[in-house]
Amino acid sequence: MNIKKGIAISMIIGIIGIIIVAALIGGWFKPTETENINIKGSTTVLPIAQEVAELYMTKNPNINILISGGGSSVGIQSVGEGIADIGMASRELKDEEKSGYPNLKPIVIAKDGIVIIIHPNNPITNLTLDQIRCIYNGTYTNWKEVGGPDKEIVVINRDSASGTREFFWKHVMHKDDFVPTALEKNSNGAVKQTVSQTPDAIGYVGLGYVDSTVKAVNIKNDGMEIEPTVENILNGKYPISRSLYMITNGEPEGIIKDFIDFVLSDEGQGIVEEEGFVPLE
Amino acid sequence: MFRKIHSLITNLHIINKKNLKEIIIEGTLFLSAVFAMILILFIIFFLFKEGYPIFRKYGLWKFLSGNTWNPTGEPPSYGTFPLILGTLLVTLGAMIISVPLGIGTAIFISEIASPKIKTIIKSGVEILAGIPSVVYGFFGLKVLTNWLRITFDKPSGECWLAGSIILGIIVLPTIISISEDAISSVPMEYKEVSLSLGATKWQTISKVIIPSALPGITVAIILGIGRVIGETMAVMMVVGNAAIIPQPIINVFSPIRTITSTIGIEMGEVANGSTHYYALFGLALILFAIVLILNIIANVILRKLREKYIITPKKKKIKLISQKNLQKIKRYFYVILSLIIICLLILWFGIEISVLIILIILCCYVIFKKVSAKTFQRIAFGIVILSAIIVLSILGIILYHIIANGVGVLSWEFITQPPVDNGRSGGIYPAIIGTLYLVGGAILIALPIGIGAAIYLAEYTKEGLLTKIIRTGIEALNGTPSIVFGLFGFAFFVLYLNLGISLLAGQITLALMILPTIIRTTEESLKSVPQLVREASLSLGATKWQTIRKVVLPSSMSGIITGVILSIGRAAGETAPIMFTAVVFSQKFLPSSPLDPVMALPYHLFVLATNIPGAEQNAYGTALVLLILVLYLYMIALLIRSHYKKMKWW
Repeated sequence: MNIKKGIAISMIIGIIGIIIVAALIGGWFKPTETENINIKGSTTVLPIAQEVAELYMTKNPNINILISGGGSSVGIQSVGEGIADIGMASRELKDEEKSGYPNLKPIVIAKDGIVIIIHPNNPITNLTLDQIRCIYNGTYTNWKEVGGPDKEIVVINRDSASGTREFFWKHVMHKDDFVPTALEKNSNGAVKQTVSQTPDAIGYVGLGYVDSTVKAVNIKNDGMEIEPTVENILNGKYPISRSLYMITNGEPEGIIKDFIDFVLSDEGQGIVEEEGFVPLE
Repeated sequence: MFRKIHSLITNLHIINKKNLKEIIIEGTLFLSAVFAMILILFIIFFLFKEGYPIFRKYGLWKFLSGNTWNPTGEPPSYGTFPLILGTLLVTLGAMIISVPLGIGTAIFISEIASPKIKTIIKSGVEILAGIPSVVYGFFGLKVLTNWLRITFDKPSGECWLAGSIILGIIVLPTIISISEDAISSVPMEYKEVSLSLGATKWQTISKVIIPSALPGITVAIILGIGRVIGETMAVMMVVGNAAIIPQPIINVFSPIRTITSTIGIEMGEVANGSTHYYALFGLALILFAIVLILNIIANVILRKLREKYIITPKKKKIKLISQKNLQKIKRYFYVILSLIIICLLILWFGIEISVLIILIILCCYVIFKKVSAKTFQRIAFGIVILSAIIVLSILGIILYHIIANGVGVLSWEFITQPPVDNGRSGGIYPAIIGTLYLVGGAILIALPIGIGAAIYLAEYTKEGLLTKIIRTGIEALNGTPSIVFGLFGFAFFVLYLNLGISLLAGQITLALMILPTIIRTTEESLKSVPQLVREASLSLGATKWQTIRKVVLPSSMSGIITGVILSIGRAAGETAPIMFTAVVFSQKFLPSSPLDPVMALPYHLFVLATNIPGAEQNAYGTALVLLILVLYLYMIALLIRSHYKKMKWW
């Protein structure tokens, strides 16, 4: 009996060994002369960087692009500290960051609209900016106050360090305090996910995150209903839009410059549009 | 220790080779034990360095008692009271759910179940322990919050209750496996004596076995609380994260926010060096303080219990007195507890219903007093069996949900190809290998240090001041939330030591996190080896180290492996410690050196589940692969353990 067990155990250990050896060999046999580009930061910009990087790597097979999230601040800090080659950010540099890392150079790579989303079954189709502000500061707590059904509003907010929230707070809330009972989510995807699951919820996300599982609310401005579309953001009609950045430490050089140029090229901007963001003109 | 060194130096000429070896070994073991202490001081130092400015700028009292957490308001406010309260409430709820279920299941496994059922449930519990917290969070997000919302007709299911349920499930295996170990290690004679005196099986369990196992069960609960308070990812995904105090305070459907989830969601986007950044490190310090206070309380309880139940001839008199006192304390405790419960009931249901409930409970109590021991036993066994069934069904529901949704995605391509299109299609090969590297490295680093420290603590040390400090260090390390390890790893390894976001930084950070688990479980199992065995070996002329290596270690191997199993499960599933230290979301090649970053399954799942719309299929696939990987490792460990268990002779 014990011998059988012993055989079983040594077989299992053998299998693990083989897996590890295979992994190591897999690691060793990669093309030897690769160059790494390390990109880190905002989860809003991440999908763009990811898709562009995939295309770029198929064209330049000896370049390995590593992408990770973490948030705008992590991106800015990482590129400032030299941990990453390119930082991604969905907001402008703050004063502390400008003074801490004076060499940082932000480059606008795309535009993004912030879209108010609700559950698809919610009959509301449009809201004014004032109504949105009143929902988010706690003045309105029931959908009937904005012409909807008699249901309590579930307000979904972003975490207090999010670039998207900061933008929303400045340009929609006019720096008013958010209602403290709002649920806080740490990414665009999580906000969308919650709104799509919760019939009485309202949230705000980047344009790239809107799909059929949620309903985008039109903004009513001076009697006009403005749909959140690429066109309306480009022509400036849609009132809440912002820039997205890639940040380098000093002027970009070598492969980093080449990659950023590729992002800004027609091909790169094509991907920006495919991912649901707004390309630069 | 110093006296020992001194006597060594003066008697240098009589030291022979054998002695020297023993001394070197003892020295090495001592160093690994001290390592834990140094480490904890280091972490505290770093947290304090980064967190101190908030106390200076904002004021400690204002920071602790403020009712509003709004770091981006104008002016910003950093009141952490709602967060502290949220952490305590979620933990309380989780323990109310998991402690009765866990102890019930432990009793069932160790005392009632037949060997076959016992094996089934034990492996079930171990599978439960292997499910990574990010998978629990994923399940909570997709299933539990929805179910709560619809069942209780609430506008949103993301609330205190959801957090407590998920955390309660996460902590179940810890409580069950350690309680079960404690119950099983109660000497057979106790049970036999009780049964031979005519006590029923249940009377034996409740009056003899459980009290004797109480120190172990207390340890289980302490470890459980540590785990609950430290959990970040799962909580973050289900509690709603509104920084408010529930209105009324017992409203379990109110969204809530914990300290860990605040750090977890805000750390990523906060500017380095801003007041907000310092405030988050300040929060980590508070978390630390809560864990320390809990540990001190738990240690006091543990010492009291040990005094009461371990009968040593010398302490007999003292024991009798303390038992009398304890009886008194116990009575007060019960009175206070029932008052609290009554208050809660009245708050919750109103007076009429509360009176009714209290009457029903009293009736039950009277009936229970009247019924025969046999009937009572039947009822008690029913409850115990029910708790085991509940635990198994929870496991079944979670596994079914993940497997049913994930199995369609699995294919050879999925596990051998890198991800494409933001992880929506393609595979997860680099993430699988990355996770293997991370866990393997962490175990390799933590195992020698952990076992060394445990041997020193269990075999060599005399209970002195230094030992006390070391133990406190280990306990503090054990309660230290994984997100704090992540912060420390980022501030120290990544930035200060300039390792960068790398495999190595992640491995070390994970190793630090699992170190206390390994030390504690190893020490417990070393201590469970009877003193008799050691004495026999020593009397045959074996040296201390020979005794430990040839006799004590082999016999406690099953316990050590249990610890390693728990550690592997934890390391493979943890996201928080590697999020800022080791992982990238996407990578085409495998890492070629320890200084390269890696992809990891839990982080990949987290990003897919919360950041990438339309990646649900691959998220389920990733969850399933993560599950299979962890369960495969567990199976190996279980086989090894059962192999060693056969070698035990007492």
